[in-house]
Amino acid sequence: MTTQTLSQPSGALTEPRAVRWLLTGLALAFLALFLLVPLVAVFVQALEKGVETYWAAIIEPDAVAAIRLTLIAAAISVPLNLVFGIAAAWAITKFKFRGKAFLITLLDLPFSVSPVISGFIYVLVFGLQGWLGPWLKAHDLQLIFAVPGIVLATIFVTFPLVARELIPLMQAQGTEEEEAALVLGASGWQIFSRVTLPNVIWGVLYGVILCNARAMGEFGAVSVVSGHIRGLTNTLPLHVEILYNEYNFVAAFAVATLLALLAILTLAAKALLEKKVRQEVKATVKPLGME
Amino acid sequence: MVNIKQHRVLPGFGLAMGFTLLYLSLIVLIPLSSLLFKTASLSWADFWGTVASPRVLASFRLTFGAALVAALVNSVFGLLVAWVLVRYKIPGKRLIDALVDLPFALPTAVAGITLAGLYSSNGWIGRFIEPLGIKIAYTPLGIMVAMTFIGLPFVVRTVQPVLEDLEKELEEAAACLGANRRQTFMRIILPAVIPALLTGFSLAFARGIGEYGSVIFIAGNMPMVSEITPLLIITKLEQYDYAGATAIATVMLLFSFLILLSINLIQWRARRHAER
Amino acid sequence: MGIQVQKISKKFGTYTALDHVDLQVPSGELVALLGPSGSGKTTLLRIIAGLETPDAGSIHFDGEETTQRKVRERQVGFVFQHYALFRHMTVFDNIAFGLTVKPKTERPDKARIRRRVNELLQLIQLDNMANRYPAQLSGGQRQRVALARALATEPKVLLLDEPFGALDAKVRQELRRWLRNLHDEIHVTSVFVTHDQEEALEVADRVVVMNQAKIEQVGTPEQVYDHPASPFVFSFLGHVNLFHCRSGDHPAGAIASPTRVEGRSIGYVRPGDIRISRSAATSEDYPAEIVFIQGAGALPRVELRRLDNGETVHADLPREKYRQLGLQIGEKVFIRPTNMRIFVPDYQI
Repeated sequence: MTTQTLSQPSGALTEPRAVRWLLTGLALAFLALFLLVPLVAVFVQALEKGVETYWAAIIEPDAVAAIRLTLIAAAISVPLNLVFGIAAAWAITKFKFRGKAFLITLLDLPFSVSPVISGFIYVLVFGLQGWLGPWLKAHDLQLIFAVPGIVLATIFVTFPLVARELIPLMQAQGTEEEEAALVLGASGWQIFSRVTLPNVIWGVLYGVILCNARAMGEFGAVSVVSGHIRGLTNTLPLHVEILYNEYNFVAAFAVATLLALLAILTLAAKALLEKKVRQEVKATVKPLGME
Repeated sequence: MVNIKQHRVLPGFGLAMGFTLLYLSLIVLIPLSSLLFKTASLSWADFWGTVASPRVLASFRLTFGAALVAALVNSVFGLLVAWVLVRYKIPGKRLIDALVDLPFALPTAVAGITLAGLYSSNGWIGRFIEPLGIKIAYTPLGIMVAMTFIGLPFVVRTVQPVLEDLEKELEEAAACLGANRRQTFMRIILPAVIPALLTGFSLAFARGIGEYGSVIFIAGNMPMVSEITPLLIITKLEQYDYAGATAIATVMLLFSFLILLSINLIQWRARRHAER
Repeated sequence: MGIQVQKISKKFGTYTALDHVDLQVPSGELVALLGPSGSGKTTLLRIIAGLETPDAGSIHFDGEETTQRKVRERQVGFVFQHYALFRHMTVFDNIAFGLTVKPKTERPDKARIRRRVNELLQLIQLDNMANRYPAQLSGGQRQRVALARALATEPKVLLLDEPFGALDAKVRQELRRWLRNLHDEIHVTSVFVTHDQEEALEVADRVVVMNQAKIEQVGTPEQVYDHPASPFVFSFLGHVNLFHCRSGDHPAGAIASPTRVEGRSIGYVRPGDIRISRSAATSEDYPAEIVFIQGAGALPRVELRRLDNGETVHADLPREKYRQLGLQIGEKVFIRPTNMRIFVPDYQI
C-alpha cells in the first residue's frame, strides 16, 4: 500500500492537496449518507419510545419464537455448508482435474440468483403443485410454508460462503505441506486435521461468520417459503417485516436492532479475521533467502 | 464435465469430490433445474403472454433501469471510496473500511425499513429533500437509493485490491516521463483498474436486479410505476399463478446468467492480458 | 537400499517431462540429478517418492516393485525445495511429526520420540531452537530442520529437491559441505536435484545429467566433467569454447576425440584448456587478437578473436602465467587447444 499522507505531498506522485481533500471529503460524505446514517437510524428509531418499549418488543412471545427459529435455521445450515465448503475446497485446491473452473462457477450460482427465485425453486420442488408435492402430501409431510422449507432456502442462499473463502486461501498455500506429511507417513485424516486445518483455521472461522450472518439475515428467499405464520414460521427478518407493515415501527426497529447488532459484530469479526487470514496466506510466501 | 480418474497422490479426492457434487446437485442444481422444467412445460403463448404483459414489462424496465443507474453511481463512488481508502491517510481508516461491508452484513429487511424511514417525507433525509420538490421514498428514485446501498461493496471490494497491487514504479515512470497527475491517472491507473471496475459494476448490477428485501419497503410497489420484478414473482405466487411466476423468474435467471458469463469473460480476458 | 528406475515416462498434457528414463542408484550413494529447469529432474525425483505417478515404467527399491505402493508406505524421506515445514508447529513438533503419525502399534513412546528428536536436533546443530517456529528461523536453519524431519523416521532413501536452491551463496557453500559430511556419516541412499553444476560436482558420488526429459550421462563428477558424453553435457558443466577446425585439418594432438571427422567439425574446448603464446610453435596454433581482459578473480579470463574465422574464444589462465605473459588488449597472439573434444554431428545434411 502506498504511504502518501494528506500532510505530505510528494510532487507528481500524488494529487494537489486541494484535490485530495475534495476526493476524501466526497468519499466520506457518500459513505456517511449511504452507510452510517442508516446504521445509526436503526438504533435511534428503536429507542424513540424509551428502553421499556424497546425491551417489550424484544421479549414479546412472537419475537422470541422468531429468534428461536432464526437460530435453528442458522444452526442447521451453517454446519452443513461448513462441511461442504471444506470438502469442496479440498477437492478443488489440492487436486488437478478437468472442469475445475466450471465447478467453481457452479458453486457461485446461488449468489447470482435473486433471493426470491431461490425460494421459488423450492416451492416448485416441494410445494403442493411441485415435483414432490403429491408424494409429500400423501405421506403427510409439509416442507413449504414450514420450518424445513426455511432451512432449505437458508442453506441455498448461504451455500458458497465457506467454500469461496477457503478456496483462494488453500490455493495460495499449495500442497507442499500436505505432501510432506504424506511422505512422513501421515494418513488422510492426520494430514487434514494436523496440517491442513490448522493452516486455514482463521479462514474457516471467517467463512462461518459470513455464512452465519447471511443465514440469520436472509429475507427474500425465506419470505417465499415461509408462509409468514406468526410464532411458527417467522424468522427475525420476517418478523421485522410484519411489524413494519402493521405500522408498529418502534417494535419493528427494536427487533431490527438485534439484526443490526449481529451485522456490527460480523463486521468487527470480519475486520479482525481478515488480517489473520492474510497472515495465513503470507506465511506461505517463502520470505527468507529467496533469490 | 468433471473428469475423475487417474491415480491421485493426496488422499480424499473421491470422498471430497463425491460429497461436493452430491451436495451441489441436491441443494442447487436439481432445485434450479425445476425452474427450467417448469418453463419447458409452458406453452409459448402462455410464456409470452406473461412476460410481454404491460405490467411485467414495466417491472422489467424499472428493475433493470434502476439497477443500471445504481450500478453506475456505485462505479463512480465505489472507485472514489476505494481510491481514498488505498491512497490517502485518513483517521479511522480501518473503521471506515469495515463499514463498507455493512450492506453485505446488514440483513436486507433491516436496510429496507431503515431506508424507507430515512427518505420518507418526515424522515431524517426526506424532510430536507421533499421541500425541494424531490420525492424519494415510494418512487423509482427510492428503488435506486436502495440498490445503490446494496451494491456499493461489490465495486469497492473488487477495485480495492487492484489499486493496492498497482505497481508504484509505473506511476513513477510515468511521472519521470513527464506525465502530469491527470495523464498518469487516465493512461496508467485507470486502464489497470478497468477490468475490476467492470466486474464490480456487473456484480452490483446483478445484485440490484435480484434484490428484494432492501427495496420493497422503499419502493411503494405501485403496479406499472414502482413495482420491481422480484415482487411481481411473489405476487404471482400468492395468487397461485405458478406458470406466470415461472415465466418471469426464467427471464430474470437468464439475465443473471448472462451477467455471470460476462463477468467471467471480463476476468478471463484480464487474466490473459496480465499473463502476456 | 538401491533404486532402479525402468523406462519411466511422464507427460503433463502435451508436455513430455520424462521420456523412457532408466537409472540405477546404487545403495548408499549420494546421487545428483543435474539439469536445466524443465529437464524433468524434479519430476523424476517426485516419481521415485511416489508424489507423482508415471504414465509408464516402474520403480524398484532393491529389486522390489514399488510403483503401485502408496507414498506413505515407501519409507522415503523427502526434503522439499521450499522445505514445506509445518508452519504452525515448532521445530520439535515438525521433526517429531513422522514418528507421531505412525499407527499406535508401531509408534515409539513419548520419551523415545523425545530422545530421537533431540538426537536429530544435535545432529543439525539446532538443539537450542526446539521451541521456535519455522518463521523464526533463517533459511539455512529451516533447511536443516527439513532434513532432520525427513531423517526422523529413518527412511531407506532420502530425496532432496533443490535442497540449496533458496539459500544465499555463502550458506549454500556451508550446507553443501555439511550434507556431504552427514552422508558420509549415515550412508543413506540419497538423490538430490539441482541445476547448479558446481553443487553437483562438489557433493555427489555420482552425477546424472538430464536434458529434455532424458538422461544424457551418468558418471562420477570427474567422468562427466572430463569426459562428457554429449555436447549438452559439455556445455552444461562449465564454460566451453566452440572451436571450428579448419577443413581437412588434423585437429590438435592432445585431442580426446573418439573419431576423426573429415570436413567441418566442431571441437569443444574448456577455457582452461587454451594455451596462449606469443609465437606459433606448431601448425595447430591459431592466430588471434586479444579483445578483452578480465584480470581480477582467481583465474584471469582473456577474450580473444580468432583471426582466421573471427570466432570468439575465452581462455582462463593461471594467475602466474597471466602475470608472466603481460598481455595487452589488441595484441596478436597464438592460441592452441590443449584438450579438445569433437562430437560426431548427426549426418543429416
